[in-house]
Amino acid sequence: MATSGNKNMNAKLVLLGDVGAGKSSLVLRFVKGQFIEFQESTIGAAFFSQTVAVNDATVKFEIWDTAGQERYHSLAPMYYRGAAAAIIVYDITNQASFDRAKKWVQELQAQGNPNMVMALAGNKADLIDARKVAAEVIPLGTKLKYSSSNQDMSKIVVQDRKPEAQTYAEENGLFFMETSAKTALNVNDVFSEIAKRLPRLQPAQNPSGMVLMDRPAQTPATASCCS
Amino acid sequence: MYGTHSKRDMEIDYQSQVPILRPSIHARRAKITVKFQDLYGFTVEGNVDDVNVLNDVREKVREQGKVWWALEASKGANWYLQTHISSTLKTSLKFSALVNAITLKKLIRKGIPPVLRPKVWFSLSGAAKKKSTAPESYYEDLTKAVQDKVTPATKQIDHDLPRTFPGHPWLDTAEGHAALRRVLVAYSFRDSDVGYCQGLNYVAALLLLVMKTEEEAFWMIAVLLENVLVSDCYNKNLSGCHVEQRVFKDLLTKKCPRIAAHLDALEFDVSLVCTEWFLCLFAKSLPSETTLRVWDVLFNEGANLLFHVALAIFKMNEEELLTVHHVGDVIHIIQRCTHQLFDPDDLLTVAFDQIGFMTTTTISRQRKKQEPAVMAELDERLRRLNSINAGDEQ
Repeated sequence: MATSGNKNMNAKLVLLGDVGAGKSSLVLRFVKGQFIEFQESTIGAAFFSQTVAVNDATVKFEIWDTAGQERYHSLAPMYYRGAAAAIIVYDITNQASFDRAKKWVQELQAQGNPNMVMALAGNKADLIDARKVAAEVIPLGTKLKYSSSNQDMSKIVVQDRKPEAQTYAEENGLFFMETSAKTALNVNDVFSEIAKRLPRLQPAQNPSGMVLMDRPAQTPATASCCS
Repeated sequence: MYGTHSKRDMEIDYQSQVPILRPSIHARRAKITVKFQDLYGFTVEGNVDDVNVLNDVREKVREQGKVWWALEASKGANWYLQTHISSTLKTSLKFSALVNAITLKKLIRKGIPPVLRPKVWFSLSGAAKKKSTAPESYYEDLTKAVQDKVTPATKQIDHDLPRTFPGHPWLDTAEGHAALRRVLVAYSFRDSDVGYCQGLNYVAALLLLVMKTEEEAFWMIAVLLENVLVSDCYNKNLSGCHVEQRVFKDLLTKKCPRIAAHLDALEFDVSLVCTEWFLCLFAKSLPSETTLRVWDVLFNEGANLLFHVALAIFKMNEEELLTVHHVGDVIHIIQRCTHQLFDPDDLLTVAFDQIGFMTTTTISRQRKKQEPAVMAELDERLRRLNSINAGDEQ
């Protein structure tokens, strides 16, 4: 790993997720350190690149930020084909976006590069009061504490175990973080963590700019223990 | 009556120069980037050279206006509205009509003066004819009937209103949002197969800026989607767009073989950059006046023009593209080029003179050839995704 020539690599990364989950905002925060409340809606996909340092090496991410509207999903294979990594983004205040994120995970597991490093990002983590998707499994009987509500929410007790994001990620071989493009929470961390997890064998001169790996035998990408 | 009054305030002042201070000689040397507003109120970034180019373009627009006024003086007012080339050729072979049609084609390729655009576009695109076949109050009735309805399309439209050219002095106001909303929502009900497709927001926004009224912008959208562009471009699986991308790839191989081979070797799929061009009709990629010059020709000559323009963008960068070996560099070259194409003639000269002839018949044949492959690919994808989900539920 420390050998010269292998210190710098390029990695194609794709962001997928529901419309309005904040994919473009995460990229803008990561690439330019900015946050804009209303980002231009992405058509097709937008391209960015950014380099991160990991230990004594660097990873140059070539980032494809894709359009979220359902009908654009038919274009997605073009963007995730050959990708070394993917960030699947959902909005913690929107349950439907979490369901959509799971569909993306399934699609990548079935169609994507089997060695793809996948991250699940629960974005808009700054909007705690509007949270709809719990990050961790809440044990039955726990009393929830909500800071603002017109009801006394502290009396509400969790009735059911939900398939929460952390558990879901673990079961599907993804790593999970809650992020906020607005406050910058965990944004750089997601990318750094991906960089650390990338197979470290490719020189930067790879002309197509993607990490190529020997495909293992036709095994499913993820061993799922419960389905 | 639909809240477009303040468009009057947006009327372009052709006499004014680009409103920035002349940078000092040191600044010129340093090639600093300045922000300025273009003819249509969009904030653009560029260097001092770009500012000068934009001022030259304004001058050319004025000169071109004089040509149009002179022709109006000799041929009579509105002569250009009676010479739609295809209908003229079909219905009459009168020599004078033919001459007018050819004159108009040449003239439009050099640009329609901004003040005449609404009238000329509305007539030549076929929007006027389309409107005339509907009841007089069609648009008004439609907008009233659907204003309180909530559908997935209206939700998506509402989400995109503040994300359509944010920061524009008219589009990004409550009034601009309301006008854009009415046009997009009305169209989503007119054609439920399309509903609302992201990308249309940029097209409709630019049409609102150009056309005199919201109603005319609506009919322009209608004629674009129903007559001018290839069908199903914006439908639920973008099949028409997929077809256009495949046709474009074949054209690139034919017209720019060196570039096509080089990009192939890099495993660079040109659709990565072209999809946005075809869905937004360049509204999101090119400077506003350049986009509108492309649209001038689009409305007179048809959708093949989009291929000419897309090919021209690659052609203009041929030498530089051949020297790079990374996907990122390819995209950087193309994007830098499109964002800085402040002089529309730089692009259109290449599009008309260096791409070569492509007949409508040839392109239609290409589309027909690609359609089954696209449908098969989309069906296959759907089938695979359904089988994943079915397996998941067991």
